[in-house]
Amino acid sequence: MNSNNKETPATVSLLNAAELLAQIGEELAFVVPEQDAGLLPINRFVMDLEEISEGNVSTAWVGGLKAARGWLDEVLDGRGKFTAENIRHFNEWHAYMSSVLDAGPNGEGMPAWPAAWDSHPAAVDGTSAAPTRESSAAPAADEPTIRLNLAEDLELLREFHSESVELLQSIEQGVLVLEANPTDVATINSIFRAFHTFKGGAGFLHLDALRDLAHELESVLDAVRRSELHITSEIINLILAGADALKEFTNAIGSQLQGVNPGAAILVPTRQVIRNAKSALRDEPTSPEVTTPPPATAAVPSLPEPARQPVSLDSGAATAANKNRPAAMAVNTSPPKPTRKAQATTPANEPPSERTVGDPGSGFVKLDTAKLDSLVDLVGELVIAQSMVVQNPDVQNINSLQLARHLRQLSRITTDLQRNAMSLRMVPIRGLFNKMSRLVRDLATLQQKQMQLVFDGEETELDRNIVEKLGDPLIHMIRNSVDHGIESPADRIAQGKSPQGSIRLSASHQRGGIVIRITDDGKGLNSDRILAKALERGLVKADAELSESEIFSLIFLPGFSTAETVTDLSGRGVGMDVVRRNIENLRGKIEIQSVLGLGTTFTILLPLTLAIIDGMLVGVGTDRYIIPTLSIRESFRPRPGMVTLIQGRGEVVSVRGRQTPLLRLGHHLGRPSKVINPEDGIIVVVESGDAARGLLVDELIGKQEVVIKSLGQTFQHQNLLAGSAVLSDGWVGLILDVDTLVKMPSHQKPHSTSTANANL
Amino acid sequence: MTSTSSTPSLAKAGRYLTFNLGSESYGLPVLNVREIIRLCPITPVPRMPEHIKGVINLRGSVIAVVDLRAKFQLAAVPYGERTCIIVVQISGPSGGRTFMGAIVDTVEEVVHLNEADIEATPDFGGSPDMQFILGLATLRGGVKTLLDIEKIFLEDETLALPEFTKADSAT
Repeated sequence: MNSNNKETPATVSLLNAAELLAQIGEELAFVVPEQDAGLLPINRFVMDLEEISEGNVSTAWVGGLKAARGWLDEVLDGRGKFTAENIRHFNEWHAYMSSVLDAGPNGEGMPAWPAAWDSHPAAVDGTSAAPTRESSAAPAADEPTIRLNLAEDLELLREFHSESVELLQSIEQGVLVLEANPTDVATINSIFRAFHTFKGGAGFLHLDALRDLAHELESVLDAVRRSELHITSEIINLILAGADALKEFTNAIGSQLQGVNPGAAILVPTRQVIRNAKSALRDEPTSPEVTTPPPATAAVPSLPEPARQPVSLDSGAATAANKNRPAAMAVNTSPPKPTRKAQATTPANEPPSERTVGDPGSGFVKLDTAKLDSLVDLVGELVIAQSMVVQNPDVQNINSLQLARHLRQLSRITTDLQRNAMSLRMVPIRGLFNKMSRLVRDLATLQQKQMQLVFDGEETELDRNIVEKLGDPLIHMIRNSVDHGIESPADRIAQGKSPQGSIRLSASHQRGGIVIRITDDGKGLNSDRILAKALERGLVKADAELSESEIFSLIFLPGFSTAETVTDLSGRGVGMDVVRRNIENLRGKIEIQSVLGLGTTFTILLPLTLAIIDGMLVGVGTDRYIIPTLSIRESFRPRPGMVTLIQGRGEVVSVRGRQTPLLRLGHHLGRPSKVINPEDGIIVVVESGDAARGLLVDELIGKQEVVIKSLGQTFQHQNLLAGSAVLSDGWVGLILDVDTLVKMPSHQKPHSTSTANANL
Repeated sequence: MTSTSSTPSLAKAGRYLTFNLGSESYGLPVLNVREIIRLCPITPVPRMPEHIKGVINLRGSVIAVVDLRAKFQLAAVPYGERTCIIVVQISGPSGGRTFMGAIVDTVEEVVHLNEADIEATPDFGGSPDMQFILGLATLRGGVKTLLDIEKIFLEDETLALPEFTKADSAT
């Protein structure tokens, strides 16, 4: 059972065990029959003991833990109250365990196994525990349902739900690592623990169906852990199917928590998975219809090599998952249990190499994002206050080297503080990418395509708000690539390609933002077909002359879809227009490059964070506005003759031979402006999509990184402004919404026709 | 309590912050008031109705500021030494809380009003401002208009910018 373990438990874990036992002892003192006092703490401590005892050699110790687990589960599953018998058992148990702990290395002083415990139904070793469960869970043919006690357990359910979401994510990621490296002990353990925690939580809340399912899966993992079972594609599918069922439960709980059909019974089929888990444990072949996605086992009898390879190639992802911190973004998703476990046992039980990888010292803290935001706000204020002090003329007149030094130090600290505060929002994109591996795997099996997903730059960090909102568009684009991009293996071979399609997902810093690329080596976009389709749908005029890239971008129009067949996963009526809108909502851009027959690349440009933008501060009259630097193509002082008035259409400025519509910003905003002659001002050329427009402003004040603040509900219906920012002098600057400025109709009369004419 | 009125008083007994616009005296439920600050630089927001003066930086959050004189269509006066911004907290229809600032001439005091002090709003014949009024309070011989600050600001929440084309053709 400890074949995975290279070291015997060291003192650290023994000390912990002694401490935990002592705590259990204290709790036991307060336990009263027919009450539940102490039940949850004891369960907690036993769980902790179980965790730190993983890989323990002593059968007496492990057996004891199993016995305690059996009784606890019985109490938790049953009436939730102790019986006199339970209490007697626990007291005996406590004495027994303490003696085991004190026993010498060669068995001296080892207590005898209390025979009375064996008579108990929740018997002592794992092999007999499983059948007991089976007999209680298996007979009913109908699927069990669960009902939530929203009235009483609301808070607990909330906690359970958010914890489950995290656990499921780590399970999924772990499974993908296992596919590549079936003997990865750390991953097996982490999946095991995740199911175990799930079971515990479900047990507390009397979500029996969930608990039973998690229990079976835990048993499977336990068998794997003890090398009684080997990871095969069937086991992987089994775990995934189980995780999916748990996810369905979790999602259902989530929607009830949000007030959808509260109290309704939740039914998710679990019998089949449980049956398969049991037969896997008995070393029987699983029945084929088991798994989701259904064709997985039938069509692909062994793990498809391609699906396995990418992950193994990508050692970064694999080790990341081992570390228990894949998507465990510092801020919000770290599974609390594994972290704690890592701290408790890494030094003692795991090979030393794990320590360097495992980061045992770095714990994670979950915190409310509102608190984070207010911290960032306050730090921003501090920076402003700091610069006001430093720039205060009275302070500047003080002739003191010491003061100057102190002020410099203050500036340095505030800057560091600001950078740190900002970085709290940043998380690696890895978690998001990892989700995609599962998607690609499922889609590939479903469509019987061979696929590899390769990551690049998954350690790139970006704002967690962006990561959250990027999920949907990314899923959609990956589906698109798999469904419509990658050909079937036969087609690929016919074209001289490798039968295995490849999708590369990469992230990198570029141009002060993040660039995410999705590259496939599929059939590419057929511009003729796109154009024909667009014509047929009336999306373009027949005589329109479009460049290839303009034709490609037609697929982003609402109501455009080249998919002839609708698959299960893509083609649900959500088109690429939604993708583009999502990206634009993140103040990003999306571009397509494609070569027919060779593949397609989607390039997504995103700001580093939603919270900060690089802005150009421009002055108009007494006002100051911020234009996002990402949207600025260029700015220049126009020479006479560059601005022309076109009768009835407004002014245009000639930029590199192209006539670009000109907008006098002050006039357009209805605010006074100092500049009448364009030559006295500056023209800032802004772009959105393919369209561009010149904005005439009085002056450029400078570039500034600004923290974006919402303008609040009062201004939510206007679209001129994208937000506001507190400038370094404490004033509020308004951020212009470039999209609106570029897209609004331009045929307004210029402010002063005569001046414009005079410049001709 | 006043059966003659068609609209029963909405104002509840409690503490009110009183302030002046010109010679008129008004009251706001103290529960709505978060703080009172001195007039500070206001960034004008383009294409907004006259009474929306713009936005200010309130310790890092940006909040909208409304000139109550303009809102009530009183004659504008230059801002002076005693001009204040009352920061009020209102709960939006979406449930979120927002802060907004109201520019007033002077802030007077916090008073406690008993039910007996408050009477319902007389019917002035459907004047548009009536919907903001919770009731009237008589205090030391003066009459104070008790305002429903949420209504005043919620109305502004539904403000939409004039359409570009309309605004442009108007110029």
